[in-house]
Amino acid sequence: MTQIQSRDVPVIELRHVDKHYGDLHVLKDISLSVGKGEVVVIIGPSGSGKSTLCRTVNRLETIDSGEILIEGVPLPQDGRQLAALRSRIGMVFQSFNLFSHMTVLDNMILAPTGVLKLNRKAAKDEAMALLDRVGVADQAHKLPAQLSGGQQQRAAIARALAMHPRAMLFDEPTSALDPEMIGEVLNVMTELAADGMTMLIVTHEMNFARRVASRVIFMDGGSIVEENTPEAFFTQPRSQRALDFLQSIRN
Amino acid sequence: MSAPTIRDRLYEAPGPRTRRRVALFTVLALIGLGFLLFIIIRQFARQGQLEARYWDFFLKWSTWRYLGQGLLSTLKAALTAAVIAIALGFILMRGKLRQNPVPRWIATAVIEFTRGVPTLLLIYFFFLVLPRMGLNLGAFWRITLPCAISASGIIAEAFRAGVNAVPKGQAEAALSLGLSNTRTFYQVVFPQALRFVIPSLISELVIVLKDTTFAYVVSYADLMQHAKVLITSHDALVSVYLVVAVIYILINYALNRMSDRIAQGNRRPTVQRQGGAA
Repeated sequence: MTQIQSRDVPVIELRHVDKHYGDLHVLKDISLSVGKGEVVVIIGPSGSGKSTLCRTVNRLETIDSGEILIEGVPLPQDGRQLAALRSRIGMVFQSFNLFSHMTVLDNMILAPTGVLKLNRKAAKDEAMALLDRVGVADQAHKLPAQLSGGQQQRAAIARALAMHPRAMLFDEPTSALDPEMIGEVLNVMTELAADGMTMLIVTHEMNFARRVASRVIFMDGGSIVEENTPEAFFTQPRSQRALDFLQSIRN
Repeated sequence: MSAPTIRDRLYEAPGPRTRRRVALFTVLALIGLGFLLFIIIRQFARQGQLEARYWDFFLKWSTWRYLGQGLLSTLKAALTAAVIAIALGFILMRGKLRQNPVPRWIATAVIEFTRGVPTLLLIYFFFLVLPRMGLNLGAFWRITLPCAISASGIIAEAFRAGVNAVPKGQAEAALSLGLSNTRTFYQVVFPQALRFVIPSLISELVIVLKDTTFAYVVSYADLMQHAKVLITSHDALVSVYLVVAVIYILINYALNRMSDRIAQGNRRPTVQRQGGAA
């Protein structure tokens, strides 16, 4: 790519993005940018459009108008370019979505061998190193259903990392987990952030957001209501709606 | 304890009273069945159907070899028809799942056609109409192709139901890793769909096998044809049909058992633990 990777070009940038589901206006004039190494956390009540926003970044959801740029380049509409772009953006889902008919290790190497054309040996070595990093190397030869939810999600994060993504999207990664497993997944994400990964995270974990976020974005009713530093947002939010939301979850 | 069946999932375990009632009805049903069997055999005996001349040729090796040849032809036709039907069904399913409306529309039309037209009508078409148009297929293809076409639409729908049963997140995960649509389908979605589909695929095979008995229309020498020859040469209608029916039942029973086995084996590891809303 000839694009000059200057510090000023955001890794992810949305400009005036709009999206409707029929009559429902789910994303209203969303503009947002995530710089290299930034961790942007999106919070908001359910139905506020935060998941949809996250999914538009690698075009799992299409948009009606506006622009999405990845490293300064408009998001391709389809075909090989779109697949190539998706391979550079990692995505972690609420329901883990490990391929249920393959072992964890086969999950890990499917895209590196199929898309990056790595040979099996190299892909396996790297997969094992990544699984070790997230603490599930001993589960490599099991099927996903044999793992706990927390283990599955950590393996799913490792699977995304195996593609050497330029940025990672997390769509409520801990919402489907039993409480005792949330911590292990958040720890992996915290380490990832400390390593300088660019991350866009939709979550309900307020303590995590406060600890890890470079910026917090509060969404409600399809719009970005407030964009703030985590410290300011959680102590003295500017908007009444954010204040109400924070109060409602604290009780 | 045996593996849980669907019945165990749908109904609670019976209590002592229910178990007593089940036992009572089982005994009553067995007595009833025994009585029915007795009446049938008595009727046979009265009509002279149990006489040795209706049955003794089954002691001859040549009878069984002849039936075996017929059975082999039946299996050959059924298997060929099944392979073609699965291939056609797969193509139709791919067409129907396309975004582009043209192949989707064509596939839908073909599927509805094959599901709506009786197999026998298709056989007559291959037997009577195609030769007039100058296309002379052998008896083997005149029976296998109609049977295959007739099953293809149902198989296409079974495939499609299986593909739709795979959680959407599986394809999304594959796409988000940069896999192409084609790779996503063949490496992630379809292998999982196949597990859902195999039982209904096998039930469809049973239907294909039964459809091949229409072979008499095109004079293809299948098991039924050979049975008819035996009937004429030994003047023994009931005994031969009874034996042939048992052969068909045994094959189809084996197929159905196979599908149950596969369905059982699939139940464990496929379902991924997925808490929360999608």
